[in-house]
This record gives sequence, structure tokens and C-alpha cells, in this order.
Amino acid sequence: MEKLNFILSGLGGQGILFMTKLLAQTALNRGLKIMAAETHGMAQRGGSVVSHLRIGDVAGSLVRAGSAHILLALDENEAYRSLPFLTGGGSLYVNAPARTLVRKQVLSYMNRMEMTCRFFPASETAMELGSPMAANLALLGFFAAFQDSPLPGHELGRTIEQASPDRFREINLKIFNRGFERGSAEREQTRGL
Amino acid sequence: MMHQDIFLGNGAIALGLLEAGCQVVTSYPGTPSSEILPEVVRLVRSEDLNTYVEWSTNEKVALDNAFAAAVSGKRAACCMKQVGLNVAADSLMSAAYMGTIGGLVIISCDDPGPHSSQTEQDTRLMARFAKVPVLDPCNPEEARQMAGLALDLSEEFQIPVVLRPAIRVCHARQALELREIPRNGRKASFQKEPVRWAATPKFRFLLHGELNRKLKEISRRFDSLALYNFHNLTSGRQYPLGILAGGVPYAVVKDILSEEKRDDIPVLKLGAPYPFPEKLAEDFLNACDRVLVIEETDTVIEYFLRNREKVLGRLSGHVPSEGELVPEMVYQVMDRVLRSLDLAGLKESGQGDAVELVKALNLPVRKPTLCPGCPHRASFFAIRKARPKAIFTSDIGCYTLGLNLGGVDTCLDMGAAITMASGFYHSFAQDQIDQPIVATIGDSTFYHSGAAGLLNAVYNDARFILVILDNQTTAMTGMQPTPGLGIRADASRGKAIPLERVVAGCGIDFIEVIDPYNIREMIQLIKKAGDYVKDPNGGIAVIIARHPCVIAYRDTAIPEKVKVTVTDACVECNFCLDRFECPALYKDETLGRTAVNQALCAQCGVCIQICPKGAIIAV
Ligand code: SF4
Ligand code: SF4
Repeated sequence: MEKLNFILSGLGGQGILFMTKLLAQTALNRGLKIMAAETHGMAQRGGSVVSHLRIGDVAGSLVRAGSAHILLALDENEAYRSLPFLTGGGSLYVNAPARTLVRKQVLSYMNRMEMTCRFFPASETAMELGSPMAANLALLGFFAAFQDSPLPGHELGRTIEQASPDRFREINLKIFNRGFERGSAEREQTRGL
Repeated sequence: MMHQDIFLGNGAIALGLLEAGCQVVTSYPGTPSSEILPEVVRLVRSEDLNTYVEWSTNEKVALDNAFAAAVSGKRAACCMKQVGLNVAADSLMSAAYMGTIGGLVIISCDDPGPHSSQTEQDTRLMARFAKVPVLDPCNPEEARQMAGLALDLSEEFQIPVVLRPAIRVCHARQALELREIPRNGRKASFQKEPVRWAATPKFRFLLHGELNRKLKEISRRFDSLALYNFHNLTSGRQYPLGILAGGVPYAVVKDILSEEKRDDIPVLKLGAPYPFPEKLAEDFLNACDRVLVIEETDTVIEYFLRNREKVLGRLSGHVPSEGELVPEMVYQVMDRVLRSLDLAGLKESGQGDAVELVKALNLPVRKPTLCPGCPHRASFFAIRKARPKAIFTSDIGCYTLGLNLGGVDTCLDMGAAITMASGFYHSFAQDQIDQPIVATIGDSTFYHSGAAGLLNAVYNDARFILVILDNQTTAMTGMQPTPGLGIRADASRGKAIPLERVVAGCGIDFIEVIDPYNIREMIQLIKKAGDYVKDPNGGIAVIIARHPCVIAYRDTAIPEKVKVTVTDACVECNFCLDRFECPALYKDETLGRTAVNQALCAQCGVCIQICPKGAIIAV
């Protein structure tokens, strides 16, 4: 792997920063170079929040529009808003219930650009397990199941274990693992097609 | 391999300061600088150092304190956001003349965009204005090194040095190699020298001359500061175009050139742009037919280049004069310039027509809003209800978001809620117009620069209601303590100075404290305050709306949680959505009425008081 650019987008309060940290730390544990850029301040009060994460030998922390390989979005509208970051052939993983909701123009754009789009109801999954605010971990788990992820699921899991405060460790891992299972199931399915 | 840890840029700066033996660090929080001091505190604790830290009450106070430390021979730093340096400017200008004994670095973090500031001002221009050297790092690792370099330079030349990391350095994350942090045991000493430390104008003239000599020497030093000021020209070769860049834009340019494999375009990096390295720049200019200057946020390097015919940049209209130079923008600028000079352009950007696509989607704009349960929301609601025709002057903090609630008409700078209120009062009173005015200011902002304005307003008999929104923290910048709490930066105990005492000390006779969650009582109180303001024997009325921030005091801010729901009595008037704007209340299209998002709801129960139909009830 040479360089890999991530965009993580969502709304202030959804845990975008934590998700970025987990990916960055896991990459570092693998001996990879990282550079990330975060949103702090006013936007954290519920505004649009975008994190940039670059893995590989890069100088700047920002991902140039049109050069993100992977877009992880915790909110459907924020996913669309961040679409200009995604490069042709890139992949979008979005926290949203079903692909029927996707807007037509978006689908045809993504097809034309040979982008992959995967939907996963991360909020529902987190809610089912009793921690509605942990959708970030469910989506991360889901993403880790696909070959797009340069970081294996068990390594991300280990970082979550280390980075979670004591009282959330167990539930965080459970939610991450549930996301990972769902992702693995979907991967098997698509492989069968 | 050495042990590596991921650091936020602000953490890297903290690390660099301590590695360089910094003994005193002062700061006033402000995005994007706020994390520097907490990171210093964390490292001081983990490495068992004895560095003195303080949250100062404002930036000028922070700088004066750090300056005194440097005058007593220590190594000191003070940290702030770029507009904070305006507050500290008085101190900076004079400190430049007086110089230091130990090392003094002023860290002023810029916010091109702006993302979380009232201006996009360029700290490098402030440094030029004050005549002190400035360093401009391009990533966290370089910021760490430059923090040390700044202290070394400062000590060697006895001059304050400015470090200006931009937001993309402060809030970048990078892995840094850790090494032992040495202890600095240097002791304080003060050599009396009134002609310097208390210089009269006659001596100021001499100090100015000395300062100019220092700058000349440092400029030459910057010519050969090969680690941070360098180019990749091949000697003897002439280039059609070269790029001159510093700080974050340098990293962006470097990435673009390496991705595009364009070694035909030389780059001069200026990480230490002032005092300007004249010789280095001249060499570069001579080897290039044209140079494109890419710098943030204003024009500093560009101004210093003498041969104007060669220079492309902001002044020539090639680079946008406002906004952040994000990579796609730099890409566009470079591509355009290359093509205009008949050179090969850059390759496909990889960006489809997604920008137009997104525009056409008309996505809902996600404005920042006050949190569910935020006490400020209740305050603003009560204020508008009680004084609908008032001018609402306000200030800087989370509560600026009272804009969305129609409770904020002005926000000029720190403390201006009060000074603009008195200004408005006198402007209208002069015309015999009785204009109600309600000012809102946060607790931390009041301690920062509210008191001076309040003294002035009382002294000059202005009349308005001042509501101090006391949420017991500096919320917007990350929950730093205030003087009202008596908790210091390192969590040790300081003396608590209650707002009531400060307000009384400013000459206010009407001081009432209320919990804004009780909207009805707050409305009554504001009306009472309004009567007092109008009374010929009255004056300025101060209401302290005291309720803890629900984020800073997650477990205690709402002692009695109230689960709420919306009944069929809801007539879909949207009053609560428009005027109260709690993110937990939303319009449920299937139910055809307002509903509560229980996942977001903080269970403060305040909304029960505001529905005109009584449709919001406790379960
Ligand atoms: S952080 Fe605190 S003060 Fe700021 S909006 Fe949220 S509740 Fe209000
Ligand atoms: S109780 Fe009402 S005002 Fe309080 S957070 Fe819930 S919906 Fe918002």
C-alpha cells in the first residue's frame, strides 16, 4: 500500500474524532506513517464535522478534494456533502438504513465514477446494543470487514480495547464486533453474486 | 525503534516547549490554541517536571506574566489564538523594545477559513508590526522543533519570538518519536536596570535602534537557517517558474509536486519568514523567471519580494485573498499559473462534477446549535420573551449560538456585549429614545474583559440589563476552569472569585442570581430588572443566570431528569422548533406533529414550560 486517504464525516457529537484516533493509532501500531486533521471548536456543537486521515508518506494533513479513497460517514446527508472528496473508484461506507433511500443523482454519479457505496444502519445497531451514541464503532467494525480496510478487524479491536475508558470497554467492543459481523456477512454475500 | 506516540499539533508544541526547558507557560484558551496548555499539564505530570502553568484571565495578562519570567532569566511561553494577540498587542509592542534575558516565545495560532474566529488575520503581520521574529511550522513535528528554536533564538538575541502555527498544524495529528525531557533548573534573578525595564521615551529611542540591529542580524541568520529556510535549485540552471511557500501551504505544495512528479518546479520554503531572509529570496528570484507565492493567510512574503514584475500571488490576483488555501484550491492555482505560462499543467484532479451535484441536492445546512439541555437556551428564551423589542448585544462563546434563537444581535470582540450596550444606550439616549438593551456575556468572557467595560458603563451612567450566563466553565474552547471556580490549570486550588463580588466591585447595586431552567421566574426577574433600569435612581441591572454546562458537568448538571413527550395537543405551530430550537425536538412527518428524539434528549424538562398549547409534558 502506498498512500491511503480517508475522509470521516458526520455531525458534531457523533464521535468522528474518536473514530479518527482509532484508525490512526492502529495504523501506527502497524508501523505506518499517519497524518490527520480534525475539526474542533464551534462546529463540534452539532455542525458538520469532517476529519481527514492520511496513511503513508505525506507532508500535509488535508485530503485534497477528489483524492480520498475511503469515505466513512456517520450521517447520510453529510456523506453526500463530503462526496467531492472521493476519488474515482473510491468507496463510501455510510450509516444509513437502506440503499433504497439513496438519491438517484448520487447513485448515477457514483456509478459513473466507479465508486462503491455500502449502507449500514450503524445507529440502529448501536441502539440495539444499548449505546445509541456508539454508531461510530459499529460503522468502523462494518468497514473493517471489507478488503478496502488496510487495518484488520482484530487490530482495530485491540486499539478500541486500549483506548476505551474502563466502563465503556466491553460495550464498545461488542458494538464494534457486531458491525464487523454484519460487514463480514455482507462481504460473503456480495462475493457469492 | 524509538517509542512513538500520536500527538495533536498542539501537543507537539507542548512537547517541544518542555524539551527546550520551558519553565513557565501561560495561556488564555481559544480555538485553535486551547489544547497547548492542557498538554503541557499532562506532560509535566507524567514527566514529573516543575514547570509553572496558568490559565491567565486574558491574553495580555498571559503575555505580561510570561514576559516577567523571561526577564528574570527563565524560559517562558504564552499561548493564545490569533485574535488573542490583539488583546496582548500592547504588551508585545513594548516587550519587543525591551527584549528579554531568558527565552520568551509567544505562540499565536492562526485560523484561516475562518473556522472558529472573528477574523482571518495573519499573525506573521503582527510579528512584523511589533518587529519580532516569527516562525511558521508546516506540521506538528516541525512545530515541536520550532518551539525549541524559538526559545533558543529568543535567548541568544534577547528578543521575544513568535511561533505561528495555523489551525492545520494545531489540529493535525502526527506520530512523534519520544525522547527524554531534560529538567531545567535555572533560578530566577532580576537585575535592576531602569533604563531598560522602565525605559522613558528617550531610552525607548535607543532600544528601538538596538531592536533594529538585532533584526538585521537575525535576518542574516534566517538566510542560512537551512533546516527551515531552503530551496532545491540546481545551481546554474534557470527556471521558468518557482514556488515560494511557507507554513501549511508548503506541505500542500510539496505533496502536489511529488504526486505529479514535477521536479521542474523548484520550491523555496520559508519556515522563518521574518525578519525576511533577503539574500536567500534574492537568489531564488534570480534563478526563476516567475515566482508564485503561496502563503497563509495574508501577504507577508509577497510584500517583501522586491522585483514585483516576477511575482505572482495575492496582489496580482493569482491567489484568493480570503479563505483557507485548501489543497484543491492550491492545486487549481498552480494548474492555472502553469498553463498561463505555457508550461505543462497538472494532471486530472480526480474530482468529478461532485461539487455541482452536491449543490443541486440542496442538503440541509447543519448549523451548530446549543446542546440539548443547554442552560443558555433557557436564558435566551426568557430574555426574548421578557424584552422582545430590545437590542441584544452579546459576546464570544457557545452562547453566540443564541443567534439562532433571535437572542444575539451583535458580537464584536471579547467583552463587547457590555461596551456596545453602553454605546447603544448613549447613542439612543442622546436622541431621548428609550431603547431597551439586554447584554449577554459568559462567565469566562466576563472575567476576560467584561469588568473594564462594566466599570466604564456604571461610571458614565449607562442603562441596560446585563445577563451573565454563568455555566461555571469555558465551554466553547473545551471546558477550561474560570476564576469563579477557584480551580487552576493543573487542577490545584486557587482562590475562587465569585462573579457577584466582581460585579459589586464595579459599582452595581442590582445583582440577582437565578437558575435559568426556571423560565417563568427568569422572565419575572428580567421585567423587574427592566423597571430598575428605567428608574431615575436605578442603574445597570445585572442578572447572573447560573446553571452548569450540561457537557462539562454531565453527571450533575441536571439533578432531576424529566422524561418528556409531546401529546396530540400539538397543533404544529412550530413555535418550539423555531423559538426554542432544542436539537432533541423535531417534526415527525408520520405523526404529523413535533416529537422528542429520546436519544438526544438531555431530560432537562425545560421545554415543558415553553409550549403555548401545553403539548409537551412529563411522562
Ligand atoms: S457545551 Fe455547554 S455551554 Fe456549550 S452549548 Fe453545550 S451545554 Fe451549552
Ligand atoms: S427535555 Fe426538552 S428541552 Fe430538554 S433536552 Fe429534552 S427535548 Fe430538549
